[in-house]
Amino acid sequence: MAHEDHGAIYDLLAARGVSRRDFLKYCGSIAALLGLSESFVPQIAAAVNHGAKLKPAVWLNGGACTGCTESIAQVDTPDVATIVLDLLSIDFMETLSMAMGEDALAAAEAVFEEPGYILIYEGSVMQGFDGNALRIGGKTGLEELDHAAPNAAAIVAVGSCAVDGGFVMANPNPADATGVKPYLESKGITTPVVNLPTCPVNPEWLVAIVVDVLLLGSLESGAILDKLDDWGRPKYIFGQTIHDNCPRRGHFENGNFVNEFGTEEEALGYCLYKVGCKGPQTYTNCPIVRWNRRTSWCVESGAPCIGCGNLNWVDVGAPFLNRHRDLPLPSVGNTQPGVVAGVVAGAAALGLGLHAVGMKVTGRMDGGAPYEEMKAHDKKRMQKGGGK
Amino acid sequence: MSHPAHYREAHPLIFVFTHWINLISMVALAFSGFYIHYPFFANFMGVARGMHFFFMYVILINLFVRIVAAFFVKSATRLGTREVETDIKNWLPQKLNRHQLGAWLKYYLFLKKDHPIGAKYGVLQKIAYIVTIPLTLAAAYTGFAIYAPFMDAAFFAAGTDWVGGQMNMRIIHYYIMWVFILFTAVHAYLANVEGVAPSRLIFAWKEEEGLRFDADGKVIGGSGH
Repeated sequence: MAHEDHGAIYDLLAARGVSRRDFLKYCGSIAALLGLSESFVPQIAAAVNHGAKLKPAVWLNGGACTGCTESIAQVDTPDVATIVLDLLSIDFMETLSMAMGEDALAAAEAVFEEPGYILIYEGSVMQGFDGNALRIGGKTGLEELDHAAPNAAAIVAVGSCAVDGGFVMANPNPADATGVKPYLESKGITTPVVNLPTCPVNPEWLVAIVVDVLLLGSLESGAILDKLDDWGRPKYIFGQTIHDNCPRRGHFENGNFVNEFGTEEEALGYCLYKVGCKGPQTYTNCPIVRWNRRTSWCVESGAPCIGCGNLNWVDVGAPFLNRHRDLPLPSVGNTQPGVVAGVVAGAAALGLGLHAVGMKVTGRMDGGAPYEEMKAHDKKRMQKGGGK
Repeated sequence: MSHPAHYREAHPLIFVFTHWINLISMVALAFSGFYIHYPFFANFMGVARGMHFFFMYVILINLFVRIVAAFFVKSATRLGTREVETDIKNWLPQKLNRHQLGAWLKYYLFLKKDHPIGAKYGVLQKIAYIVTIPLTLAAAYTGFAIYAPFMDAAFFAAGTDWVGGQMNMRIIHYYIMWVFILFTAVHAYLANVEGVAPSRLIFAWKEEEGLRFDADGKVIGGSGH
């Protein structure tokens, strides 16, 4: 039993000031996140405990803001999550590697030569300018990904950019950004991709994937693939909408809304639906897992969800404080759908009004015009046919 | 001037009911739909959603009943007559409709002085009414695709992916409602602009005398006021 097994992990935990109780509680929350019962807690604890010899991992940065790196790396005190992530032997990471230049690239090269590593990819795949929108160590970003992807056991695409291009692929998308999975599919590379959208990625999800894929062996067994939806997102993280798990949902059902910021309604913590919350159409478990080491998350802290876990999230979500997205109308520019509907309806009302005037002037309002004797078409044919 | 007679045979009682149910459902759906889109007053969301989810089933069942009844109920074959035939005949192309599309367009645009001969429904009228069937089904499909209990079903999720996500699906659903509003405005206008006899018949089932027509669309009597 893991409790009695004083393996390397417990020394590590002790060194970082984390009690065994905290550790097991954390394993319990991972079990819940993965949709496993409490009986899996010892198994997860044991897996973490014995997981010292892990597959090496490489973290590549594509076209993005490095926010996902920030999200994962920004921890002021070590906690259990960082210890789990420490179990990933990240041998190369452009932004955080100690090694620089040729040495760092050589380390990555050494990993790529041994098939079976985990490739973590952050940022979009920028295809524009013949791939020259992103260059690393004298190569294009595309060449680097082409080189790194085929030998990987699995690719974890972290953040919306790596999933489908994220904010980088928003209109007009000059860099022709796309996600890792669609890019690899276009190249015929079949390495399995686990997609973890949102901007940035939530470290808790990476922990869950590390435990699930590496420690519980769901990659070898193929079980992980059954847990992914059509877009390669783990269903246990991205299977339900924010709206359905939102702590403000009661206010929504009651019809208590924040009409604008800085009001009493906002102070009362009412629903943010009217100020553009995209929770009803965004599939992530943010309300359950929360962010910043489970402190809070966007809606809890008073900001409407901007739908960063959606596909093409900027184009379908902006303007973020409106209920509807904008429609990019040619020669008009970005327009709200309601405005278009109003203009069309106004034109129709005007048309009917003018028509009614015409009906009045032509005296048709009282019963319509007299009926024709025969169809105009038949009349014409008869005249043509000899004026019968 | 020349208003056709409006007899009960044109709208048998069951269609008076289905028309009422359609009207009430559409008003309830449009109102609650607008509210769900943007809750313009407080404390009503639960009721608005309840209304929307109730009347969406009512209107679908009503559409089904209306279509089935068309195959079993007899209704007048043309304006100003008590002669009846199975109602579905009125929805298929009829002899009296042939070659009349241009005539109707010209009449509506004041380019033709006399009233075109029509069957029970004119060409444009018939097309507009029939189009409400796929339009209702499209509203239902797009509505279910953004309705939590159904939106994850493959049949709806595939459509949502195809249009580029739920935001786009919502906007399509929203625009379908506007098409219905425009249809209703034009429908109510054209039905009543030459006299309110059609409304008296479809709502109150009250007859009104007027011109009577033979099978070729010729006036055979009656007075058009």
